[in-house]
Amino acid sequence: MMDEYSIDHQRRLKRIQQKMEEWNLAVYLGSRLRTLSYVGDVFCPWRSFIIIPQEGEPIIYTFIIDAERVRDESWLDDVRGFGPLGGGHQLDVLTDAITDCLTGGKAKIGVELGLSNYLPEGYLTTEEYNYLTKKLPYAEFINSIDIIDEISMFKESGEINRFRKASEIVDLGHKAVLEGLEIGMTETEIAGLADYAMRKAGSEWAWSFTGGNEIASGYRTSYPMGACTPATRRPIYAGEPLMVDLHAMYKLALGDHAHNYLISPVSRTQKMHAKYFLETITRVLDLYAPGMTPAEIADNIMDWADLRGFAQYLVPGFEHGIGLMGDEWRIGMNDGPLPYWTNPDHIYKENMMLICAMQYMAPEDHVGFRYEGPIVITKKGCEVLPKTPLEVTVLS
Amino acid sequence: MSEKQKKLSYLSQEWLDEVIVQIKANLSAEDMKNVSSSMKNVYKNCPDKKIHYLYFKFEKGLLTEALVGTDKDEVVSRSSEFQIHGDYETFALISQAKLGARSALMRNQIKLKGNMVKALRLASVVDRLNKIIATVPTEF
Repeated sequence: MMDEYSIDHQRRLKRIQQKMEEWNLAVYLGSRLRTLSYVGDVFCPWRSFIIIPQEGEPIIYTFIIDAERVRDESWLDDVRGFGPLGGGHQLDVLTDAITDCLTGGKAKIGVELGLSNYLPEGYLTTEEYNYLTKKLPYAEFINSIDIIDEISMFKESGEINRFRKASEIVDLGHKAVLEGLEIGMTETEIAGLADYAMRKAGSEWAWSFTGGNEIASGYRTSYPMGACTPATRRPIYAGEPLMVDLHAMYKLALGDHAHNYLISPVSRTQKMHAKYFLETITRVLDLYAPGMTPAEIADNIMDWADLRGFAQYLVPGFEHGIGLMGDEWRIGMNDGPLPYWTNPDHIYKENMMLICAMQYMAPEDHVGFRYEGPIVITKKGCEVLPKTPLEVTVLS
Repeated sequence: MSEKQKKLSYLSQEWLDEVIVQIKANLSAEDMKNVSSSMKNVYKNCPDKKIHYLYFKFEKGLLTEALVGTDKDEVVSRSSEFQIHGDYETFALISQAKLGARSALMRNQIKLKGNMVKALRLASVVDRLNKIIATVPTEF
């Protein structure tokens, strides 16, 4: 049934297969989580593979205990399990499936090779690659990540609507935190408070591998250059900052939004930092538009903050990539000066998405703030999907 | 066929004929969970150095076709939902119900081609079939 969240899977597949033809690939072996999500439109939490033939529909292979669930939820009919069984080992089934796509064993096979700071990226492992090249000696293996990365860079309307919905859910999580927050609650309790509200609203998962919902209180908000704070059992105290970074998933689209609090009594220093933070994030969001690049935005903000005397409080980068589950961190193609990292000269275009991210930390004052929010590049600027206000909320 | 009767040569046509009789007499559609499927065992490292095949087809739990033979026989051309590859010795143990099919799969002693999920669901049914096969006096 088509709805506002629908994705044209066949069109998506056709574009991939057209690219495969341009690359002269007989088959594409996808192993990255982002590729499974993008093509299969299904959550594959276990090691999984997708075999995309030059013509016809792909086959997903996943761990046998999850194969039927994946088949039930994917638009693809052909989902098969692998496991510790004779003939069912993942390398055996992959070899067979790839062989079925080759003519006389001689052909080019697209594979996904690389490295990442993002743990569950899912590139082919050395063991997998060595086995396949040994079993298919006449085939040529080509790193083909550019095919998926290029096509998935631009989001279609159904996909953007999913992200809007995920952000709506995260806004509800923030509302629940604001309503339920009490002095003495632990960070893990706050994470759970938000998660319950988001689950009630339909979130499938607090998807981030950084511990789900990230909560930081007190000095933990201000780790130098730190922007990763899995919730701990630390209670929150009066007079402290609190950072609430929530993650929700809706049909594989990812909500990711951080909101900040100061719990009274609030010091003048804390107020000053909150003012700098608000001014900076407002300026950052104003800068996102077609034609801008990560480097231009960073240079602009850091020069501006330097003139005002608080550049030292900022992580000098203001974004990370985002896409359907498994697509996080690198923005755009792997074409930058540092392999597999975001190209600082990546040019933003309409319908690209990213997480606008800003980390402000003043460790000497035990205070820090974070902003994260998915944005869509529009014709003239950007659409910020979460609606929770940017201002630091003061709680009395 | 009683115990006193002569043993039939494993994978011979006579042996298969008796297997069919025993299956039809002792395995109901209900016993076979009304399954519709087909399987072909591919025997490697056989005593006669040939590759042997054993094929069964069930429809709604009832045996509708069974074939045995080597590369030159009709059985080769039969496509099947499941193909199971293994050594003669391993299959011989399975056919005597001395080794379970699932156990052999888990030890990589036989290799299955086909839908693993369905295969595992059918493993108990296959074991039931093998227990019937094991009742046929057989010379290996």
